Amino acid sequence: MVNIVILVFVGGALGAMLREFSMLMVPNLADNFPLDILVANLMAAFLLGLVTALHRRQIASEGAEMLIGTGIAGGLSTFSSFVYGAVVLMSASTASAVVASVYVVISLVLGYIAVTVGLRLGGQGSAPM
Amino acid sequence: MTPLDVMWVGLGGGLGSLLRWSTGRVIGDHYHGDFPVGTFLINVSGAFAIGYLSVLFKVDWRDRYGTALNAGVLTGVLGGYTTFSSMQLDAVKLAGKRGGVPAASYLLLSVLVGQLAAAFGGALARVQG
Repeated sequence: MVNIVILVFVGGALGAMLREFSMLMVPNLADNFPLDILVANLMAAFLLGLVTALHRRQIASEGAEMLIGTGIAGGLSTFSSFVYGAVVLMSASTASAVVASVYVVISLVLGYIAVTVGLRLGGQGSAPM
Repeated sequence: MTPLDVMWVGLGGGLGSLLRWSTGRVIGDHYHGDFPVGTFLINVSGAFAIGYLSVLFKVDWRDRYGTALNAGVLTGVLGGYTTFSSMQLDAVKLAGKRGGVPAASYLLLSVLVGQLAAAFGGALARVQG
């Protein structure tokens, strides 16, 4: 129990710092499309799929799954900034409302694909889930 | 971005992730259905909080660090508390159990209710002044 608390805390801290660093490196697009948040969320979705599949195959331990899946991937990804950014853009102008809608749909579709790719990659050589 | 900002993001991200993990556990103890209620409630409540706090303290959605409030609470705690990766993994699992329509509905419902919660939080802060 204490171990899990430490793993989730440390993983979450690392994930959140990783999100901030990666957001600093991703350029902002001219039309306000939040590419930085999208990139952080997609990396996290892929990572969570990967570690989940490796945990199912017992290659990744329970602790590794907690640290990487619940902690790092959870801290790296954000839902609050994702939807709040969309809300701000939607209320700004018609043009940015279009950008916001595209942003939401692309995030949902690519995020789903990222988890699936992570699961497939981590589950290679084993029976499908 | 200063080392102090990095510390706030990390500390907040760790605490937010712990809050997410413990909230998910409590909800998981009481609810055993297929719909990912835990992640849904976590994300919607986090979306409400970011809308409310951003408007109340006049933080632009692009300002992610510089003060303890935006680095520690908005980027750190709320970013660590809410999760995009788990939402997507939930959707893949739901698709496996119930099919694509419930999975897509879960994703769309999360984003719609999340956006409403963020907008409602912002409106509430505006009324409060």
